[in-house]
Amino acid sequence: MPVHARGDHALLPDACLPNPNKLPMAPTTPLQEAYLAHRERLLRFLRARGGGEAAEDLLQELWLRLAAAPDPAAAANFGYMMRTADRLMIDRYRSERQANLRDKAWAEAQPGVAEGIAPAPGAERELVARQEVARLEKALAGIGPRAAAILRRHRIDGATQRDIAAEFGVSLSTVESDLRRAYAALIAFRESGQ
Amino acid sequence: MTTHPPIRDAALDWAMATRAPDFADWDGFTAWLEADPAHAQAYDAVQAALEEADPVLSAISAPEHEAAPEPANDNPPGWLAGRRAWLGGALAASLVAAVTSVLWYAPGGEQMFRTAPGETRLIALDDGSTVELAGGSTLALEGARAARLEAGQALFTIRHDAADPFVLDAGATRLVDAGTVFDVRLSGPTLDVAVAEGAVIVDPEGKAIRLDPGERAVREGGRYRIAAVDGAAVGEWRRGRISFDGASLAEIAAELTRATGRRFASTDTATRLSGSIALDAVRADPAALEPLLGVRITRSGDGWTIAAQ
Repeated sequence: MPVHARGDHALLPDACLPNPNKLPMAPTTPLQEAYLAHRERLLRFLRARGGGEAAEDLLQELWLRLAAAPDPAAAANFGYMMRTADRLMIDRYRSERQANLRDKAWAEAQPGVAEGIAPAPGAERELVARQEVARLEKALAGIGPRAAAILRRHRIDGATQRDIAAEFGVSLSTVESDLRRAYAALIAFRESGQ
Repeated sequence: MTTHPPIRDAALDWAMATRAPDFADWDGFTAWLEADPAHAQAYDAVQAALEEADPVLSAISAPEHEAAPEPANDNPPGWLAGRRAWLGGALAASLVAAVTSVLWYAPGGEQMFRTAPGETRLIALDDGSTVELAGGSTLALEGARAARLEAGQALFTIRHDAADPFVLDAGATRLVDAGTVFDVRLSGPTLDVAVAEGAVIVDPEGKAIRLDPGERAVREGGRYRIAAVDGAAVGEWRRGRISFDGASLAEIAAELTRATGRRFASTDTATRLSGSIALDAVRADPAALEPLLGVRITRSGDGWTIAAQ
């Protein structure tokens, strides 16, 4: 997959923040220190995660995200940095597939709307969205109501597997196997839609 | 493209593992990725499948019992038809609670209600009618048969009385109901009225536009445009979904701020989009708007900036 630098750094207000990659002097904040301490691991991860030769640019982008984090102390945690790096790559993959996605699902550009009485231009897309919902409902029917409920708690409400186990009164391994089946169903759902 | 199953299964396991807040084996994950470039591709495909399903998933299961003040409403496709049944019934307790949250009593006996962005509120009127107020909205009630929407959006479910019609002033425009479930959105100079049941007369002493079920009037720049609307989609914001119909990015940003309580901004009044989005996904991650609307989202301070691509 070709890799492009997104080139929007200049648009970010954070672009004026000190850049620790080029900073000639010692780092000044705990976040910068942590970032520099983990720089090689982050770079290695980004490279392996699909960044390849663009990994250095991606590392820059990662720094911008970290510097913009609402809680700099939390952002200085290695796990947080890695998670943000993973998120960066997920977002990047998604935006590269955007045109594709837009055709399929939820919204698309519309060059203005004519005056006068006309069918709602949103109606057709709304219909597509509803069909998509019906299709997913059907796909999830096969995994059983508990697995479907667990999937929703985990993906939409953000509950951890441990909390879900307590809430549903089942073992952690049951939650895990329900989720695995649900995820497999979502993957099959996606593949069947392409 | 289908992935070799063992690789896909491993990718799925990693996607499950990395989602745990206490996941720590980042070096193990890196090693797995380094072992074969196909691993990163498989992991991307799994993550994309999950993320793309999220908005659909939240549309399935953000049903009335959750978005609720509507109990036991288990007939989604025809839910409007069933609305009257529960009015005045099981809801009594929650309605009382909602009514006590009147913000203040203004001079002249008006009751003012105001919601914060992202908040919604159910208001019961004395005659059994209800008003559901969307986030970032202000409504004044004058008794049970007159109200004024000062800003934002509300869904009205009005008990009809031909002798004493319900009158709503939306900004400077008057609306009169004729037995009705209707949604009104006021955003700066833009007025958007959509009717699910009954009928509404817009501007009875001027243009006198009658809207029947499935019709919608949008006033922009002083002109009204009449369009069709799916009756079941009227008031869909209560179920965590909002639609745009040729809205500018600046308008979309304002709507999203009001609906989610997160701050969105855009200076672009030229680019116009139509579509429908589930708010859960946007609340969870504002960057999700990028593929949904085909726009660019950048973080700025404690908010998000929306720009055309």
